[in-house]
Amino acid sequence: MDSRYEVEFPVRGDDFLAAGEASNQIKETLVMLGVPSAISRRASVITYEAEMNLVIHAGGGILRAIITPERLTIVATDLGPGIPDLALAMKEGFSTASDRVREMGFGAGMGLPNIKRNADVLEIDTEVGRGTTLTATVFFGRQDAREG
Amino acid sequence: METGVKIVEGSCKGCVNCIKSCPTEALRVIEGKVNILPELCIDCGECLRTCREKALALDEDDWDLLKSHGPVTLMADPTFCAQFSHYWSLPLIREALASLEMQDLFDQASVAFDLAALATANQLQEASRESLPLISIYCPAVVRLIQVRFPELLHRLVKTETPLETGTLLWRRENESKSGVVLVTPCSAKVMLVRGPVGRTRSTMDHVVSVKRLARDLLAAGPKVEGKSAAPVGSRWLAWALRGGESRHVRAFSERKLTTMAVSGLRNTIDLLQDLELGRLKGVDFVECRVCDLGCIGGIGNAESRFLSELRLSRQPIEWKVSAKEHAALQELYETGIWKLEQPIQPRPRPSLADTLDEAMKKLKEMQALYAELPHIDCGACGRPSCRALAEDVVRGEGELTDCVFKLRERISLLGEEITLLSGKLPHAFHERKHGK
Repeated sequence: MDSRYEVEFPVRGDDFLAAGEASNQIKETLVMLGVPSAISRRASVITYEAEMNLVIHAGGGILRAIITPERLTIVATDLGPGIPDLALAMKEGFSTASDRVREMGFGAGMGLPNIKRNADVLEIDTEVGRGTTLTATVFFGRQDAREG
Repeated sequence: METGVKIVEGSCKGCVNCIKSCPTEALRVIEGKVNILPELCIDCGECLRTCREKALALDEDDWDLLKSHGPVTLMADPTFCAQFSHYWSLPLIREALASLEMQDLFDQASVAFDLAALATANQLQEASRESLPLISIYCPAVVRLIQVRFPELLHRLVKTETPLETGTLLWRRENESKSGVVLVTPCSAKVMLVRGPVGRTRSTMDHVVSVKRLARDLLAAGPKVEGKSAAPVGSRWLAWALRGGESRHVRAFSERKLTTMAVSGLRNTIDLLQDLELGRLKGVDFVECRVCDLGCIGGIGNAESRFLSELRLSRQPIEWKVSAKEHAALQELYETGIWKLEQPIQPRPRPSLADTLDEAMKKLKEMQALYAELPHIDCGACGRPSCRALAEDVVRGEGELTDCVFKLRERISLLGEEITLLSGKLPHAFHERKHGK
């Protein structure tokens, strides 16, 4: 049986006006499906941060949400510059965002750490010059495990 | 489920102007008449502002009937005190009301608002850094908006009862009175404080009437006042009628320096809550949101222009310093816990498309397929605020695809083609005769 729902949004690089739209729509989808609010909150943090990464660093990409009765998977794929030092990128406060981006209030170096905190499983496949694929999974059965 | 808005039978012309104004897409025009989806309505009153036919109104009680039963006790929202140019101070308004056999609860309100500010300041003091900022509960439309659209933020609402309720409770305790109290409301949202309160089982106030109704009544009666009336009451509570007044009041009671934010207007409120949800408001202690422009004086149930009200209120001398004597009295009341919200506030999400996730996913796919067929111009002619809303209604069994005029026209045109095609066909007998000759 086909118990799987998938949505896909193209995200344009450097488009700060439209930023956040894809994650908003994913959140609305989760509400329609009756996903508990604690889960959809975590999901919306993940999608928002992943979307912002596509906007700020990757020159755009594709954001996908795959929902099955057990889990939600967010996949952000881009053909951007890749992440040279992943361990460093996972540190709170570390950011390679330009001054221009920071002036707009983004690029505080909280994106990836925030995603890690809210996801049950996080995989990042990246290669300098080739791009990055981020896959974050949230399991529906465990909404009590994480708060905030 | 009730709402603070009522539909005036017979007035709706089915123009669909209102449905676009609703921030939660809670309105539908079905068979030429407006309907409210109560599970989505946040009582903000935006639809009242857009309706030219006055088919939507504040759901207030019959004021003439209430008055006819004898003396009335009023718990007035502070906006009420900013409505008049000639009863411009509290003692004068009190005197005017008294001459019409109405009793105000200004003194109790003043204490209750002080108490609410103190209780909120204390909660801010005790809160952990991660749980800040806390959000004001004073605007009931904001509370409902959070219940419906931002359930993740519910734990940030202060656990303080609205001072309008607390003030009434204080009066009942002082007088051991069970007689009816009328809430004087500036908006449709506060109607719900009486009709369907959040955070308590039932209100201790009994009736609700709009500021507009009472203010016009008072002005029409035009009682002469001599300014000889009663002791002055505290005036800090009046500031709550304006955006930022509550925050100022809370700061007056806080030991540490607080960072507060105050926004008014529906769009600003939604934007701020979105920022908050995304964790962008670090370093902020308290957030005050009001869905009406300029604060409660912008409410749809007021008589006076919000700009004049603002001018008048900003000229009121307000003593922000709390005296030691006041502090001691408030502390005593604080200990009694009368200011506490009875029950935690629960989320109120729209029911999902189906009971199980599996079913819901099927329905959602169906909905997307339907949506793909619609014109995506959100014209509103189907009586829904958007094509997406129509697709959702159809999947929920509350509408048909041909409610869309474009789809209807398509169907008619297809049918027309088929009729033309059929009309070209001849019966066999006729064929033979024609060729036989």
